[in-house]
Amino acid sequence: MNRITSKIFGQYWNPYWAIGIAGVLSALYFGLTNTVWAVTDKFTRLGGQILMLFGIDISDWEYFKLITIKGSTFERTDGWIVWGMFIGAFITILLSNNFKIRIPKQKRRLVQGLIGGIIAGFGARLALGCNLAAFFTGVPQFSFHSWIFMVATAIGTYIGFKIVSTKWWKGKPVLKKGNTATKVENKKIIQPYIGILVAILYALLVIYFFVTGKPYLGIAAIFGAAFGILIERGQICFTSAFRDLWVSGRATMTKAIAVGIAISTLFTFVVIVVYGLEPITKIAAPSTFIGGVLFGLGIVLAGGCETGMMYRVMEGQVLYLFVFAGNIIGATFLAYGWDHVGIFNTLVKSGSKINLITELGPITALLLTLVMLAVWFAVAVFWEKNYRFGTGFKKGGMRQHGN
Amino acid sequence: MVIDFTLDLRGEPCPFPVIYSLETLKDMKKGEVLQVIADCPASFKNVPEEVVKHGYTLAKEPYKDGQDLYFFIQV
Repeated sequence: MNRITSKIFGQYWNPYWAIGIAGVLSALYFGLTNTVWAVTDKFTRLGGQILMLFGIDISDWEYFKLITIKGSTFERTDGWIVWGMFIGAFITILLSNNFKIRIPKQKRRLVQGLIGGIIAGFGARLALGCNLAAFFTGVPQFSFHSWIFMVATAIGTYIGFKIVSTKWWKGKPVLKKGNTATKVENKKIIQPYIGILVAILYALLVIYFFVTGKPYLGIAAIFGAAFGILIERGQICFTSAFRDLWVSGRATMTKAIAVGIAISTLFTFVVIVVYGLEPITKIAAPSTFIGGVLFGLGIVLAGGCETGMMYRVMEGQVLYLFVFAGNIIGATFLAYGWDHVGIFNTLVKSGSKINLITELGPITALLLTLVMLAVWFAVAVFWEKNYRFGTGFKKGGMRQHGN
Repeated sequence: MVIDFTLDLRGEPCPFPVIYSLETLKDMKKGEVLQVIADCPASFKNVPEEVVKHGYTLAKEPYKDGQDLYFFIQV
């Protein structure tokens, strides 16, 4: 690798920049397509399509009527956002020579990933969106459900942290005396060349979309890849934004995501006001809160959310294949329970769509959102300064945490 | 520099590299050096930053060998 590429791809980018640019792009994507950057409803669709493969009739499942399974994933813009994220992340992983099949030594991790994935997938869909729609793009759309979801997720991650810290969940690493490092012999670096090849093929595909009169698929493919590159290069992890606060008072992601959402809020606000677009609002109901708690719990147990999981799979982390499978299973369970077990009637029906702009007027909604994010940022700074591993907020205290 | 202990965490996902490192360091004596080997990409930043925040020092600059990361932490 020459010097310039190694500077760009040899090290990770500043997460503030990565998520800030993602924030601008997601506002732009909303302006161009009138849809938001989201992923989990695709997982539910995937679950539905797998059931259909096995000959199960899902035509009467209300949830699928709600999200409509129309056309294959390759003919849909939201499908290409997801594929683009996978491929974009894969390109930069290869360019930085960072692909490696990583298998956890403790096999219990795989079971944990699957269980966590199921809980997170179920919770995310119960709340009608994961950390993207109910969070990173939900707050900038001034949809009140995302505020409930955020608080609930924080609670869920605390419960998750408590479980992850127990001996039986955490397991024990092998500590050896002395220097037992075994050198990996220097292999030829070929990953960047494969990365360039994948990038060229993907660019050709995007051109093909534009030439054959499918510009929306082309736009989705570009934005998807950009999102994938940004979250991978910035190692953007919504799970760690909450979990790391509980673990060791690390707030890097917490702060970066607050800034990213603030930037996205400003740009989305401009798009809404200038183009007169209707913000995308989701139902705020008991299901939002319960879904958020489950989501928070699940992502900590799994070690990643529906977004982080995507680039980690491409890094070769085998664990996240199990998380991915879990996410799809959980989302499909929710789709089944929606009408068959009465989830909609008991938890969702009573809710309503609340948008801060409609309720409070645009300026108040904007200011309130920015103040909320500023408070979030300030709490993160305080937390980072005062919370320590094992002792929490007590300095050198005797509180036993996580052992 | 003498390496007193080695923690080979290759394959372990987040947040375990940070948790395991901090737990191990807590039981070590002053002056001892722990070598941590990890391959979870996020640990490239979170392991060194968190151990420094918790009062330990990096005995040597971390380095990357292929996809593996090496950290040298002194109590």
